[in-house]
Amino acid sequence: MGISASARKGWLAASVVGALVLGACSSGSSGDGDPKSITFWFSTSAQDQGYTDLAKEFEAKEGIKVEIVNVPYDGYQDKLSQAAQANALPDTASVPSLDPLWVNQLQDLASIANNEANKINKNLVTADGDKVLSIPSDVTAAGLYINKSLFEKAGVSYPTDPAQTWTWTDFLAAATKVREATNAKYDLVYDNSAARIRGWIYTHGGTGFQLGADGKFAAPDAATVTALSEFAKINDDKVMPKSVWTSGQDPNALFKSGQVVAYYSGVWQVADFADSITDFEWASVPAPAQPTHATDINLGGKMVAFNNGDKAEAAKKWIDFVFQPANYTKLAQTNGYLPIETGLTLTYPFEKKAAQDAFALYIKEMELADPISSSGQANQTKLLLAKQKVDDALIKTELAKFINGEQDVQKTVDAIVTGLNDQIK
Amino acid sequence: MAVSRSRTGDLPKKISSSAIMWLLAVLYGFPLLWFVVSSFKPGGELFSYPLTFWPKNPTLEGYTDAWTSFDFPGYLVNTMIVAIAATLLTVMVSAACGYALAKYGNWWLKIFAGCILATTMLPTETILAPLFLVVRNLGLYNSLSGVVVPAVITATGTFMFRQFFVTVPNDLLEAARIDGSSELSTFFRIMLPLSRPIILTLAIFSFQWRWNEYLWPLIILNEPSQFTLQIGIAGIVGANNVNWSILISASVLSMVPLVAIYLVFQKYVMNADINAGLKD
Amino acid sequence: MVFSASRRRHNSYTLAPLILISVNLLLFLTFFVWPAIIGLAYSFTSYTGVGDAPWVGLENYQELIGDADFYAALLRTLIYTACVVPLMFVMSLGIAYLLVSPYAKGKTVARVIFFLPWLISPIIAGVIWRWLFGENFGLVNFVITELGGDPVSWQSNGDLSLMIVVIVATWAGTAFNMLLFIAALKNVPVSYYEAADLDGANAWQKFRKITLPAIAPTSFIVMLLSTLHAMKEYTYFVAVNDGGPGTENNLIVQYIYETGFKRAQIGYASAASFVLLLILVVVAVLQLIASRRKGS
Repeated sequence: MGISASARKGWLAASVVGALVLGACSSGSSGDGDPKSITFWFSTSAQDQGYTDLAKEFEAKEGIKVEIVNVPYDGYQDKLSQAAQANALPDTASVPSLDPLWVNQLQDLASIANNEANKINKNLVTADGDKVLSIPSDVTAAGLYINKSLFEKAGVSYPTDPAQTWTWTDFLAAATKVREATNAKYDLVYDNSAARIRGWIYTHGGTGFQLGADGKFAAPDAATVTALSEFAKINDDKVMPKSVWTSGQDPNALFKSGQVVAYYSGVWQVADFADSITDFEWASVPAPAQPTHATDINLGGKMVAFNNGDKAEAAKKWIDFVFQPANYTKLAQTNGYLPIETGLTLTYPFEKKAAQDAFALYIKEMELADPISSSGQANQTKLLLAKQKVDDALIKTELAKFINGEQDVQKTVDAIVTGLNDQIK
Repeated sequence: MAVSRSRTGDLPKKISSSAIMWLLAVLYGFPLLWFVVSSFKPGGELFSYPLTFWPKNPTLEGYTDAWTSFDFPGYLVNTMIVAIAATLLTVMVSAACGYALAKYGNWWLKIFAGCILATTMLPTETILAPLFLVVRNLGLYNSLSGVVVPAVITATGTFMFRQFFVTVPNDLLEAARIDGSSELSTFFRIMLPLSRPIILTLAIFSFQWRWNEYLWPLIILNEPSQFTLQIGIAGIVGANNVNWSILISASVLSMVPLVAIYLVFQKYVMNADINAGLKD
Repeated sequence: MVFSASRRRHNSYTLAPLILISVNLLLFLTFFVWPAIIGLAYSFTSYTGVGDAPWVGLENYQELIGDADFYAALLRTLIYTACVVPLMFVMSLGIAYLLVSPYAKGKTVARVIFFLPWLISPIIAGVIWRWLFGENFGLVNFVITELGGDPVSWQSNGDLSLMIVVIVATWAGTAFNMLLFIAALKNVPVSYYEAADLDGANAWQKFRKITLPAIAPTSFIVMLLSTLHAMKEYTYFVAVNDGGPGTENNLIVQYIYETGFKRAQIGYASAASFVLLLILVVVAVLQLIASRRKGS
């Protein structure tokens, strides 16, 4: 014999392990033809109670169990596109963005979006002609926070009514005054994000990077170029720390140190601040307008239902259920969503007054915001319908090069436009 | 390396060795200490300035939140299954292959050694999407085996064994051949037991690799009942927010089993007395 | 048995090694060659990740040859590798030597301390090291300013921020190489040291003349694997300084990822990846030749 007994034992062990792994784990998903349960993928680091509650009510009412899967944000897009290639898309999902890879597998949600009782803001739904591809679960808006304790200590006032907001010049002058009076380190930190820089450009009267009639990104207007130069200029380690935009320093952590007068970010910080700022008082204040009163309005999760055979009907039922005003009210309150349905009375469960005030302010800000505020989102939809997928994260990279002195503003703007257009076929 | 005990020069050696080792330990340990201490800080204290080292209001909230923010025990079991299965297979396969590369002179083995090394040379991102297509075509999608099987081949493991077996005298192999032992039997009976320190060291490596793997399991697995620990931990990191206090506590928790495995295995590596078999 | 033994001598053992490598061979073909061929095919197309992949021949490779940013990233990668590999080698061998030496006290605790950094995920490592070397509110700058100095720009100075990543990567990667060295050191026959003791050799002589030659195979593999790993490093650069300041410390894999995969240029990214593979093959061959020459 060629192999000794102990040798055979070794190989046997190996093959047993192999068989075990293959056998035990390849059971896969439960068979189709079982509309008693559907899957719902979404991504959150905090707000999951709202969906869990609704799923329970839905099961009680319809007898269909909703399996909620919280997919981490980092890798969610990859996971969806790979799942599409493996015919393993979920039945329903709330996704960060739609992907041409699987957009043709979506159900039409028009009956839900157009249901008058729901009062869904139709500007926010993603539609291909009459077919509604997705309805956002919520909207998000960019906005300004201040360290209220520092302002009070310095005796500097700040506006509270968005209708009488300040200019960036006024705001920065005020922030400098506060910094000097209180010995704080910086005037402002600003999220390192392509979406947040849109807010800067719009409020400075620029239109930013918009799609032209030919379906490609056009060169931006002069106001945009000036605004970007201004932005680079205040990255001087006095007004703003350079490290946030050039070296990935976390602006949220810097603001929480209590040594930064203000922070430009967005509505999603409210829950975090309410929870984890204990050393000082903070407040949400109207975003400066110079002269345009604008923000960057983005959609939260986009609710979609996939065409998964006999689960399709149940899937659509679940989406319909979520957007019924009574249910949606509960969802928005529990998860802290800015609503996409009008005419709701919402009471958010925050104990902190600052958090309640912040939500009230954001809702007012969005009513006043210039229509350009949602153009970033509109561009994405246009591209999607043209079967294009464009990642605008390169705006951050090119601006970081500019701020770091690797290139001038014109080269930065050109590189952004080229980089965006390179992704369009 | 236990050299004769009662030499007069031992005391200064003891002092200098301990001093250098502990100096390095302090350097390596200081960032760790902040990490572990911070896991007991409430969110409001993590980034406060002026900097504080010790928590003013120590809390276990991060830990309780981490434990409840996802199915920690369930994910832990899945991670265990993946890590144990992958480790057993990896050790077996790497030992066999490394032994062949070390002890046989066939020309094609030299080429294969190069091939194995080449597996470390492509960036993960390049190979990820094509590898997914392969795994899907093999029907391993949405199963723990889809996580385990592609991970079994490792250049590090193979070369650890190759380099080890190179140092094992060929006389041992020749003697076994003269005794009429078959090649495979020699490998399993004589050589594999000799390589115990390598087996255990690779086992520690393999455990850590599978334990901390994130993107691949996320893409391959669809059902929460199969999710691994890192998927749960990554869920704490949101699109715009990171809940650092929960994240740090969850990371500390996820490291505990690895440290336990390391201590047990490393003890055997340290105690291994293989010299007897290797003396010329 | 006699028959098979004589036959084996003729074949100089083909079957046995083939069986021994068979599983690895199968895995190699399935999970490396197959996907790599798909990737290689992409590199000759202008594939964007969606839809069809039009054939463009060598266009991606030609574009790459003229891409100054690619060379800049490559140069930065080489600088990083030249810094981190020797440092990592010395630290991990030194620590391994101390941990197996009979003289150092408190080894069990020290062993855990040196091991732990390797378990920490890059995102956590990033926050830990920014807490230390953040240029705005980091501990080191805090101490410097308390002592009356000027804060150092650990993040917005390109060379300093590279140095910080070298330190972080060494801190995090020591355990791995240390364990390889421990296994090798435990394998050095005690009799060698006993003989040297009789000859009155001192500790350094024993280390030079006995330990280093005895662990040479492991040292070689540590060098080779660390080099290949360092050439592909980018996670710690992203975690600590986001490849910054600006794009100064975008190493080659981050460059491939940012300009290729993230901008839907799958074809171009694949071409760059295979050029990287080629470079790494050259690096590996050079190291092999160097070690052969040293050995002879």
